[in-house]
Amino acid sequence: MERVRILLLMALRSLGGHKIKGLIVGSLLAFGTFLFVMGTTLLENIERAMEASITQSITGHVQLVSKDAVDRLAFFGPDASSEQDLGVLEDFPRIREVASRVPGVAAVVPMGRYYGQPILNTELDEAIEALEEAVAGGDAELIEDRIGKVRRMTKTLHEDFERLRLLVREDDPETEKALQVLGKATSDAFWEELRANPEAGLQFLSFEVAKLSDDQTMVYLPFIGTDLHRYAESFVHFEMVSGEMPPPGSRGILISQAAYDQNFKNRPARLLELIHEARTLDRRTIADDPRLQDMVERLKEMTAQVTMHLTPQATAELDADLRARFPEVEGDLDDRLAAFFAVDDANFDERYAYFQERIVPLIPLYRVPVGGTFTLRSMTKSGYPKAVNVKLWGTFRFKGLERSELASAYSLIDLASFRDLLGLMTAEKRRELDTIRSEIEVEEIDADDVEAFLFGAEPELEIGSVEEGLDLDARLEALDVAEGGTPETFDPAEIEKGTILNAAVVLDDPSSLSKTMVLLEEAFEREGLRVKAIPWTEVTGVVGQLVVVLRVVLYVLIGIIFIVALVIINNSMVMATMDRIGEIGTMRAIGAGRGFVLVLFLLETLVLGLFASALGALGATGILAALGSSGIHTHEPFFIFLFGGTALYPAIDVANVVWGFVVIVIISVISTLYPARLAARVPPIVAMQGKE
Amino acid sequence: MAAIVEVENVIKEYPLGKLSVRALDGVSVTFGEGEFAAIAAPSGAGKTTLLNLIGCVDVPTSGVVRIDGQATTDLSDAQLTALRLHKLGFIFQSFNLIAVLDTYQNVEFPLLLLGGMTKKERDRRVRAIVEQVGLEKQIRHRPNELSGGQRQRVAIARALVTQPRIVLADEPTANLDSATGENIIALMKEINRKARTTFIFSTHDPKVIAHAERVIRMADGKIVGEENRLAEGVA
Repeated sequence: MERVRILLLMALRSLGGHKIKGLIVGSLLAFGTFLFVMGTTLLENIERAMEASITQSITGHVQLVSKDAVDRLAFFGPDASSEQDLGVLEDFPRIREVASRVPGVAAVVPMGRYYGQPILNTELDEAIEALEEAVAGGDAELIEDRIGKVRRMTKTLHEDFERLRLLVREDDPETEKALQVLGKATSDAFWEELRANPEAGLQFLSFEVAKLSDDQTMVYLPFIGTDLHRYAESFVHFEMVSGEMPPPGSRGILISQAAYDQNFKNRPARLLELIHEARTLDRRTIADDPRLQDMVERLKEMTAQVTMHLTPQATAELDADLRARFPEVEGDLDDRLAAFFAVDDANFDERYAYFQERIVPLIPLYRVPVGGTFTLRSMTKSGYPKAVNVKLWGTFRFKGLERSELASAYSLIDLASFRDLLGLMTAEKRRELDTIRSEIEVEEIDADDVEAFLFGAEPELEIGSVEEGLDLDARLEALDVAEGGTPETFDPAEIEKGTILNAAVVLDDPSSLSKTMVLLEEAFEREGLRVKAIPWTEVTGVVGQLVVVLRVVLYVLIGIIFIVALVIINNSMVMATMDRIGEIGTMRAIGAGRGFVLVLFLLETLVLGLFASALGALGATGILAALGSSGIHTHEPFFIFLFGGTALYPAIDVANVVWGFVVIVIISVISTLYPARLAARVPPIVAMQGKE
Repeated sequence: MAAIVEVENVIKEYPLGKLSVRALDGVSVTFGEGEFAAIAAPSGAGKTTLLNLIGCVDVPTSGVVRIDGQATTDLSDAQLTALRLHKLGFIFQSFNLIAVLDTYQNVEFPLLLLGGMTKKERDRRVRAIVEQVGLEKQIRHRPNELSGGQRQRVAIARALVTQPRIVLADEPTANLDSATGENIIALMKEINRKARTTFIFSTHDPKVIAHAERVIRMADGKIVGEENRLAEGVA
């Protein structure tokens, strides 16, 4: 005991005698521990938060796929955007039954991942449709108002094409033809004729003019085909924003609010909202942020997307309002609205409020309202285009993840529509198609017929579009059940007997993941089901790997610091040994053994290491504790996803602190081994070679 | 008088590049218990080498050194260390105190290495020997707070605290002024008389030699003369 005391004493005293060395080595070790504790703790918390984000919104804790799956299931990242061959889960009701019996399993939700393209009416389509309705109604005033809108839009379109003609080098026959059509559509004669004989004029507008307008960008809507009710019940982060859940057995889609805002919202309204969010949440300013400046520029060109929706009365009122605001602006309402849209940091809040209060009620805010129906087009698994009408029942979000693009990427669609979009056919459907094949002259169907069929007569029907040159089966598949239509509803009890691609298993306790995985696989094996269980970390694609990357970066960083510490400690201890050769020799001469010297040197670094790493760990826990109560706040969508919300409240895991401590102590000892052995080999005779 | 140190035909060679230098060339000498002996020689004559061999910090190239009947050539490093700890005390020319320890701790250090002693017993012995060398007031001073003479007194206390059979002192007064040197030698002689501890010291200082009971003279690695009861004025 006393020897330990004198060893400690001497170790401490020597440390005191070499303050600079101690300070450098100590700070390194303290920083290493700090980084270790801080890094591992934050990473673990991020991992937990991300796990909650992902597992409780989309993937569940475990995904079940067929053992015959060729590709890896991935919900995010590059793997997710390519087609995946996952095989099919045979006999899903039994899979659910077996999985549900495994302890710890809270829910088994069938799902499939796919994507489609919403076919949305152009603004011109809608205006023409509205005119048709007015004509059918016979209200002269309304007809004049609608005519005014369509005329304004054809005029804008005409101007666009004239600009286009200036850009193309040679006279493009298509542009010329379009200009010819638009020239007619903008002439007074045409509209006089239309008033007299609406039918021919409307036909001309629908078939010749409407197709020239193309104001939609390509929108891809990734969706998960699932049992919507089971999904809503099993994923705790799920909540409806607007609309309602479809009644059980109803077809339809729920769109994530973020995707709805991004793809369906009126463009000027959307841009104003984005600028508002950037200014309030991210504290950006229009003056400093080129992206916001660009948005304002685009906004100024989007006046038509407001004005064309206005009634004559609303037009007059708004124009009067804006005339008062901008007496100096010449021209019409569009010019005044453009002036209004020229927002800057000083006037934005006031104009945003005015827009919300006065203009929004006058226009349709979304291209498809909640409760409306739109056509979703997809490429079937066999490679043919396919279109399905879906009712938009409502919008939803995942609590806390509203601004995360990743978490709100997917919309939810019923299983029946999902199977239609994938082109998955049941035996029943195949029989139905055979009947149709015998009933109609399929050889004569070509794209034009289908299109006429599509846009012409019966918009209520379930429809398919076919490209030219496809073989018979493809046409049939595309046409699907055109004759007779798809039933609006399905039997919820029967639906799961059809094709299911994969399924999410939600657990009661996420920490029992690996245990439950084993139990699941065993249960499937026992029951002879060809099902594979995949942990959530492996289905998140690049997102799951992100944590791995972060971990590697952290460990490399810590590793570098430790190697540097190792070298520096080693170096300074070797130098200390040289400095203290006389002292060591004296101790040896007096009767201290080699072991004594070895332990003394090891103890010196150990004491320093313990002290420094305690300091580093203390600093890290202090900061983490402060962060734990204040939270790390973010508005960046990416970090919202990482944090599972707008703030991360890191919890300290004692194990990380202990590990940081242990690692540093080991590093200290390793780095001192060589110098300590060197010291222990100093012969006692050097004590006699005293300085003269 | 029983022999405690026996040196027989000892040759010690040091490698120097491709050659070797013979520092001791067939030295034989015996010291009895309680002797107060000086090895007097000019620098380079081999007196430090002889002292190193007797002090068990080095072993002879040939020949035998026996400490209390034990030949040092037969012993391992650990056994030599134990021998030094139990039977020998060292006083160095440059004092060689441990800089980070104070007077008390420096003197206590060999007792701690020795072990097997209660704290109380250790304290008693440390205080007794510190008092004997007259440093009670400086007991909590670090070496850098002490004068040269005081430091050498600490070194003497440290060498004696384990009650060794032999104390070896290599030029103990070389770094001290002559008055202090005289004091130190007087102190060593007093301890020698009281405790019958064997003292062997090397020196080339005539005043120190004057105190010795026995003087062994060396030149070129050989013993060239020996005087018992030294005559006055012989240098």
